[in-house]
Amino acid sequence: METYDWMVKYTPQSEWIERRGVLLWLAFFFIELGAGIFFMASFFDNIQAMMAGWLVCAILGGGFHFVFLGKPARFWRIIVSSGWQTSWISRGLIFVSLFLILGLIHLVLTTWADSGVALLVVIDIFAFLTIIYGGFAMNYVNGIPLWNTALLPVLYIVSGLLGGAEIVLGITVASGEISSGIAIEEWIRILMIGYIILIPIYLLSTRYTSVTGKASIRYMLLGRWSQVFWGVVVLVGIIVPVAAIISSYAMGLETTPVAFLYTAIFSGLIGDLTIRYLILRCGLYAPLIPISGTQSTPVRS
Amino acid sequence: MTNWGMIIDLQKCIGCYSCMISCKQEHFLPPGVFWNRVIIGEDGKYPAVNKQIYPVLCNHCVEAACVKACPTRATTRRDDGIVIIDYDKCVGCRYCLIACPFQQRTFYTDGEKEYFPGQGLTEYEEIGRRLYPLETGTVMKCNFCSERIDAGIEKGLKPGTDREATPACVIACPTEARVFGDLDDPNSEVSRKLREEKGVQLHPEYGTEPSVYYVG
Repeated sequence: METYDWMVKYTPQSEWIERRGVLLWLAFFFIELGAGIFFMASFFDNIQAMMAGWLVCAILGGGFHFVFLGKPARFWRIIVSSGWQTSWISRGLIFVSLFLILGLIHLVLTTWADSGVALLVVIDIFAFLTIIYGGFAMNYVNGIPLWNTALLPVLYIVSGLLGGAEIVLGITVASGEISSGIAIEEWIRILMIGYIILIPIYLLSTRYTSVTGKASIRYMLLGRWSQVFWGVVVLVGIIVPVAAIISSYAMGLETTPVAFLYTAIFSGLIGDLTIRYLILRCGLYAPLIPISGTQSTPVRS
Repeated sequence: MTNWGMIIDLQKCIGCYSCMISCKQEHFLPPGVFWNRVIIGEDGKYPAVNKQIYPVLCNHCVEAACVKACPTRATTRRDDGIVIIDYDKCVGCRYCLIACPFQQRTFYTDGEKEYFPGQGLTEYEEIGRRLYPLETGTVMKCNFCSERIDAGIEKGLKPGTDREATPACVIACPTEARVFGDLDDPNSEVSRKLREEKGVQLHPEYGTEPSVYYVG
């Protein structure tokens, strides 16, 4: 019988990225993107964008989460059990549910009258918690050093808000409200700077946490996934949006070609989706039994 | 209080896979699912090569990461220290599976898989499905043969001492490399061995306090 490689080599986690695990990757992305859109749109009182954020979160995020479960019909147990006391998945579902329910009430009420700032503040708090919970759920897993870092939730907050702001900008430009677009673009610049600073700090800090952390980073930046990282995350996801930001800063948002703007927004979202994929894909466990000479490369999964 | 635990003597283990097979037999585990595994690897370079044999199973941790991760409380730690899964409560989110740093959990997906594909279930498999109705879409793992322990205690037997009340992997071991018993009882064989031979846990740095120790 063969040795169990997954116990003597660095092993990528597979349940949350392979086969039906892909659904969870998409679920986390759309849940956080939707909440990010709603959150950013609420600052600019953009009802259309808020509605879009709510739909992305509920239909795409919630839908992917639901079909990912092995027993979807039992999802209600996540809310009614006392799991929220210790489990981030349970807390997350509660945050998402409250965000969606209150968000729907707000959207319905605003069609007749102003629903009030207080309600919107409460919804924004739950939207923020919705953005953050995925990062904390992954941060809890201490067997995977790439996830077990306090910077991961921070990275997810920034990328969720950045993605949300980009979509809100797209909707604003499409509706011809250039003045609001300029204000949103200022937010995007700040968030993009934060995102560009956070990614190397996150990767470098993980690199120096443990030998497994180092192996994860090598796997992502120099190993099997290096082309995806440098090509999609860096080139498509960062350089193209940064070029658009610089261009609009120099020429003004009004004169920046709309096609270029939308390309940059789309590129940013693809980059965000890809880095989330790589973080899930390159999450390595330490070998269960450390046997020297057998752990130079991760197991191909 | 009782805290069931196990010591595995690596010097005595001969890598015969009896524990692995007896576990499959005891729980009628479907194809591809193992609650007990024997890892055999080599360490060093010629001519100083060591063959290493590590039997592994769920560590029934005192501070189990899986228990805290479970959003539905399907995974719980009993008062006697055994970490169990209630298949009726599990939603199949696999968070426990990800959270376990020892990778000892399995997501059960293919309920129709037969040991002899295309030839239908054997009599053995049919009996197993009646006795242990495993649910697809849920997570499973070693339960320290809790059904044997519970039934044995009801009969007045002592787990770890009486075969009928002891986990199947322990009684199947031909070299008695596995010792099972109450870690909270200072007079139990498992506690004595742990004290005398200074047992170690796998990856203590994770802070989960495994109840499975290794000596040798």
